[in-house]
Amino acid sequence: MKAVGARLPRYDGVEHVTGRTTFVDDVRVPGTLWVKALRSPVHRADVKGLDTSPAESMKGVHAVITWRDVPLLEYGHLSALGIPADEPLLAKDDLRYKGQPIALVAAEDEETAQAAVEAIVLDLDEQEPLLDIRRAFDADAPVIHQWGNWYPHFEAEMDRRQIRKGDVDWAFEHADTVVQGVYRPAAIEHVPLETQVCLVVPEANGRLTIYSCTQALYFSLGVVAAHLQVPLNKLKLVGGTVGGGFGGKVDTATETMCSLLALKSGRPVKWRWTREEEFLCSSTRAPWHMEIADAVTKDGWILGRKMLTLHDSGAYARFSPYGLTKHSFHHTGAYTIPNLSFDGYVVFTNRVPTTAMRGFGVTSVSFATETHMSRIAEVLGLDPYEIRLKNANRIGDTSPNGVVYTDPSTVPTIQAIADAMGRELPADHRTMSRQPREGSLLPEHLVAQLGNPEEH
Amino acid sequence: MNLTVNGVEHDVASAPLTSLLDVLREELGITSPKAGCEQGGCGACTVLVDGEARRSCLLPVGALDGAEVTTVEGLGTPERLSTVQLAFTHHYAAQCGFCTSGMLLAAHAYVEHGGSDDRAEITEALGGHVCRCTGYVKIIEAVAAAARGDSFDLETTAASPGMTNIGGVR
Repeated sequence: MKAVGARLPRYDGVEHVTGRTTFVDDVRVPGTLWVKALRSPVHRADVKGLDTSPAESMKGVHAVITWRDVPLLEYGHLSALGIPADEPLLAKDDLRYKGQPIALVAAEDEETAQAAVEAIVLDLDEQEPLLDIRRAFDADAPVIHQWGNWYPHFEAEMDRRQIRKGDVDWAFEHADTVVQGVYRPAAIEHVPLETQVCLVVPEANGRLTIYSCTQALYFSLGVVAAHLQVPLNKLKLVGGTVGGGFGGKVDTATETMCSLLALKSGRPVKWRWTREEEFLCSSTRAPWHMEIADAVTKDGWILGRKMLTLHDSGAYARFSPYGLTKHSFHHTGAYTIPNLSFDGYVVFTNRVPTTAMRGFGVTSVSFATETHMSRIAEVLGLDPYEIRLKNANRIGDTSPNGVVYTDPSTVPTIQAIADAMGRELPADHRTMSRQPREGSLLPEHLVAQLGNPEEH
Repeated sequence: MNLTVNGVEHDVASAPLTSLLDVLREELGITSPKAGCEQGGCGACTVLVDGEARRSCLLPVGALDGAEVTTVEGLGTPERLSTVQLAFTHHYAAQCGFCTSGMLLAAHAYVEHGGSDDRAEITEALGGHVCRCTGYVKIIEAVAAAARGDSFDLETTAASPGMTNIGGVR
């Protein structure tokens, strides 16, 4: 355990400061072609025509691909978990978001590739887009996804992630007051300094060597193999050097398309997104809409919570059902609320598909629950530290999905925050711990939710 | 036309309007300057041109005939790191490493021009250099240490003043 608490040199520190770290864009292979993409110019449209022949006949163009070139067009990022696929690798019949890739060109240089992209003839019938998750449920809202406007494939084919715990009606009947709040964090772009980039080299033995900036090498391996319909041993992925990711490089954004171009052209190909593409077309952290109503007593107990969450998935599902599930498990934050009714929807819109970002699914609900705790304290005229410490998770309490906490850190964390803020806590708050509830901290309404930490 | 890069003279064949960044990376194979935005907005492509920190993505190479260019490869080697390279390693100022080359050259120019360890002055000098990993604290501490002329022991990488110990780990 010598490493714990020690100040050890980074294993890649000297490489970084001497410019010797080899990022994907720094790999040099002679004869590499440049890649450019034709992307959807609109939020939503039906495709009436797509003619790539003007690009194919241009001097210096070695390969053009569309949906016709993909052996398995739809493969979900979470297919391995039983979440069905909904997103074509390259758009086919309709366009669902501005920036969606339609066709790709590999050419001798960047300028030729861009000129070839501009030569492709695209005939569109533009449709009314859905851009606000709150409008997705309206009777007159456009239906923009083959599954409807929200994801319908949770367990037992439910159309929402639902949690019921205890007796929420009892809680609201016995509340002194109800505190409500609506919380709407916006989309956030990860902005890694290294934009999405990929280099694929076709080897003489028929394999592809894929240099990838992915954060999730084995996700990408499975996704590329599935789309290409080849065994895993045909693909050699080289990764691990990521110029910033923050969740935005979990999606397999470039590897499959570059592999198809490398196979079709027989040449190494590189695709490096511009900063503009990164901002406009890469996945983002999702916007969320969260409504909370809490049944509270005037002495600061939270008897019950009703919550509605809308998770903006953008145009396709990708990882969002997983993110919303995590969100639902954490929807009481670091606090114990015994009676719960939670409904969460993964909603489709004509925005870029959203994805993981630092604390996927949980950051949004932490923002909402912590803001709401302070709001409750303000409504009741109580100290915000007191209300947090009183309702804090303790050993033996249970989470919304029934997990028994064996080592919750809420109490020591709040005490550490008080120290950092220079806040004097009263003696009974200072001596609190994570140990099981007893005495005045175990009122009648918290007895039924208790579990046995030994059985966890 | 010719350029001297890290002390080595090169005849440049690229067209005059080619950016210095593309000349360095694509023609000369010097890959430490990074193409982060190619619009002068992020600082990842920064190099020294005649001792001044400049954004190589915005400089047409035709305007630089005879110039002396320094990249991170010219600052120091793993065996003989320069002061700012030592400071960045010691203070964990390089995380993913993608912004590091540009940061180092801006920091080197700042220290060489007599910059102090004042936090506000360092922030001003590194303005426009984007880092998405560190939150800048460790970078500023590293530049301050280099400006003060601190000595560094890379075997232990001592705690920097900004590193707290909330968990109580000893």
